[in-house]
Amino acid sequence: MHLITELFITFIAIVAFGIIFSIPKRALLFGGTIGMITWGVLQSGLLLGTSSVFSTAIASLTAAIISHFLAKKIRIPVTALSIPGILPLVPGSRAYFTMLSFVEGDYLTGLEYGVETMLQAGAIAAGLVFALAIFSFGKGIGHRYEPNR
Amino acid sequence: MRVGGIMGKADDVMDICLLAGEIMLKYGAETYRVEETLERMSKAASFTNVHCFATTTGIFLSFEEKKEKEDLMQMVRIDDRMQDLSKVTDVNQVSREFVAGELTVEEARQKLNAIANAPMEYPLWLIHIASGVAGGGFSYLFGGGWFDLFPAFLAAVVSSIVVVEFERYLKVRFAAEFTAAFFGGSTAIILVYIGFGSNLDQVIIGSLMPLVPGVPLTNAVRDLMSGDLVAGVSRGAEALLTSLSIASGIALTISIFL
Repeated sequence: MHLITELFITFIAIVAFGIIFSIPKRALLFGGTIGMITWGVLQSGLLLGTSSVFSTAIASLTAAIISHFLAKKIRIPVTALSIPGILPLVPGSRAYFTMLSFVEGDYLTGLEYGVETMLQAGAIAAGLVFALAIFSFGKGIGHRYEPNR
Repeated sequence: MRVGGIMGKADDVMDICLLAGEIMLKYGAETYRVEETLERMSKAASFTNVHCFATTTGIFLSFEEKKEKEDLMQMVRIDDRMQDLSKVTDVNQVSREFVAGELTVEEARQKLNAIANAPMEYPLWLIHIASGVAGGGFSYLFGGGWFDLFPAFLAAVVSSIVVVEFERYLKVRFAAEFTAAFFGGSTAIILVYIGFGSNLDQVIIGSLMPLVPGVPLTNAVRDLMSGDLVAGVSRGAEALLTSLSIASGIALTISIFL
């Protein structure tokens, strides 16, 4: 029951965020739905006992994959969907507590929160990158060797 | 005369390409998308040797209209960086139609000009209210209660209004975010202090959520991964500076009021 309330609030908050970023009207509800799915995946991951960084990475990967699919379907730049998709994962709470600890002079706790913030941001990036690697398969940039020459 | 006509066409195509690129980059498209769009449009207009280089603050485009003639090359500088993804979508649509041959150069120019001069997709008051809703929602998601929705809503509206109005009169971006975080945080603390809401931390976080640099952050990752290292690093620096100005704004509030 609690999860359903949270999903509902996520949907509304993400649609509102879509308006802040001026996402086209036809993509608003899609963005909200993707954000809702992201939150659901994140919470189920946490419920199953995985670490928050891993759940974030999986949730971000899910969001990015759905965004890439939908973006091709409704012909829209993928950022208009992936930005709402990953917004529920933003470590705003941890970033705030990092800053709060530093202001209060509690540097060790601050560093702890800071590292968690960085890891979670990195996990979001990792999810996006994996999805990108799947969807732009074969047309990436060259790297290191040219074995086919 | 005929040569003049061809020259005219090359100039026109150069103009609409750069206009399209300028709109896209200004309103928050990724660098790779700008480069790809411009190269496709130039090739669709049957120019060869097309090269485009875009960073976060400027676009270079060069192409050759005929063999054994000099290449044309132009650049535009982009000063403002806004977040309006619906304009990026519109330009994307125009370029797609142009590449498919459904639009002439003149029609494409008219459409692009219309996009450049169009008002925002959503009116300003709706954006402020949306900031409030987003702030309230996230304060709940980050562990606040039902009583925290209203103060977080108000504080987020305040920070959204401050960031927009400050930028309108003083064009200093990071100072605007600093001030917005300061006023949003102060509103949150005052509201909780006089009895609205119970979890101060969650209300403050909610008031800051509308300021999150979502567009530069996502674009930085995308640009770095597609090999546009210069653009990616500069976007990342932009996102980092925004986050730091928000953090210092809220740090000032907390040092003063708590």
